[in-house]
Amino acid sequence: MDHMLYTAMTGISRVMEAQTQNANNIANANTTGFKAELMRSGAFPVDGPGFPTRVATINEGSGADLAPGAAIATGNPLDVTIQGEGWFVVQVPGGGEALSRRGDFEIDANGVLRNGAGMPLMGETGPVAIPPYETVTFGVDGTISIVPIGQDPDAPAVLDRLLLVRPDDPAQLQRGADGLFRLPNDEIPPPAADIRLLTGHLEASNVNLAQTMVEMISLQRQFEMQVRMLRMASDNADSSAMLLSSGR
Amino acid sequence: MKALWVAKTGLDAQQSRLANVSNNLANVNTNGFKRSRAVFEDLVYQNIRQAGGQQSQDNEIPSGLYLGTGSRVVATEKTFTQGSLIQTGNAFDVAIQGRGFFQIVLPDGSEAYTRDGAFRLNSDGELVTASGYTLQPPINIPSNALSATVGADGTVSVQLPGQAAPVQVGLIQTTDFVNPGGLEPRGENLFLETGASGPALTGTPGIDGLGPLIQGMVEGSNVNTVEELVNMIETQRAFELNSRSIRTADEMLQFMTNNI
Repeated sequence: MDHMLYTAMTGISRVMEAQTQNANNIANANTTGFKAELMRSGAFPVDGPGFPTRVATINEGSGADLAPGAAIATGNPLDVTIQGEGWFVVQVPGGGEALSRRGDFEIDANGVLRNGAGMPLMGETGPVAIPPYETVTFGVDGTISIVPIGQDPDAPAVLDRLLLVRPDDPAQLQRGADGLFRLPNDEIPPPAADIRLLTGHLEASNVNLAQTMVEMISLQRQFEMQVRMLRMASDNADSSAMLLSSGR
Repeated sequence: MKALWVAKTGLDAQQSRLANVSNNLANVNTNGFKRSRAVFEDLVYQNIRQAGGQQSQDNEIPSGLYLGTGSRVVATEKTFTQGSLIQTGNAFDVAIQGRGFFQIVLPDGSEAYTRDGAFRLNSDGELVTASGYTLQPPINIPSNALSATVGADGTVSVQLPGQAAPVQVGLIQTTDFVNPGGLEPRGENLFLETGASGPALTGTPGIDGLGPLIQGMVEGSNVNTVEELVNMIETQRAFELNSRSIRTADEMLQFMTNNI
């Protein structure tokens, strides 16, 4: 049979994967600091003798839309948003560090500063540990200061600075299977002094619901078109079989 | 069709979030109630094409293909901001201004903690919560007391008939935790200590970071109704979009079965 069937089939599987990715974006429309997935697909010509009419498509990779999400005011002093470009550095379970935009912090029983997913945050001198405090404040540049328990509010203690980094080339960032971002070779960029924080705010997911909705419809129609192509290939085969048999 | 299952995780997560919003709204008039927030997390990604893998001997794949598998609610985190203080004028209504919890003894002898300071007297003259659990350390108010006063540092004194000077009958102590967000809500306005909350640190109100007490007031709930309504709308729309994902995936499969 004609290879049109297989060409259309690659289109169908691409659309199905893209639809899964789109559904994942919608499902994460409320995940703090989530970055929308983008699908990259490419043409995959099948070389051989003759005219190259059979060009299959494959999914080449998934990128991320790194645009900042909206800042939602929560009033919680442990909720922090990075303004513009920039990343928090978190410790990954099992060792290693990765980049994240999640700013919904909490302080556990041992005083370790963790994000909403439970990962310890890195300061410029190592993982951030906060002694018993009355109030804790994150400065705009990531400086963490506390009023220790039983001390006067006029003598805050400066602990450390959150490690805030900005890769030179954000296009190099890759999302791992745990949803965190990494540079090639797990390299952590040097701290950037000019990153500004906004406390009392959470960064919402940057999924644009209207756009994903349109994307969903468009993918559905593309899918239907590919299925029609399958149908047509089958019809063509039927017709040629009929012509050949009637000519006998 | 994986999109069906991915969208299903989104529906589940939004449903948990709505349950959480409803619980906050239902407790808008509960004394000492602390609102909770649903914390979302993306699920693991399926690695379909490895970034950095060798395309050929000299070429690397610059970016991989990772398909996400949805989202989930990973925690409901209590926000321990101060609730509004409501004046009642009742002598045994006590509010904590700042950090700290009242200690309560449960019938099985274990301890629980609460921000609800609407105390009453039981038949033995002891201060108890609305559910009848006794305050710890116990405070006994003599039956012939004319009036009772709770000081900012927790000192409870009563005026007895025929005596000019008030008599101190007890001391209310409060307890704090390193991570109040790690406490386990038990219902009846009570919280239990967990491994995540850290050990209970008991002290005198007004000292070492513990908030002072205010008599004649109760602490209301810290639920912000407008915020919850906005959350509810957002949840509803996200839910609708996830169910729309399911319908679209379903229609695609249906189209395929009808046309091939």
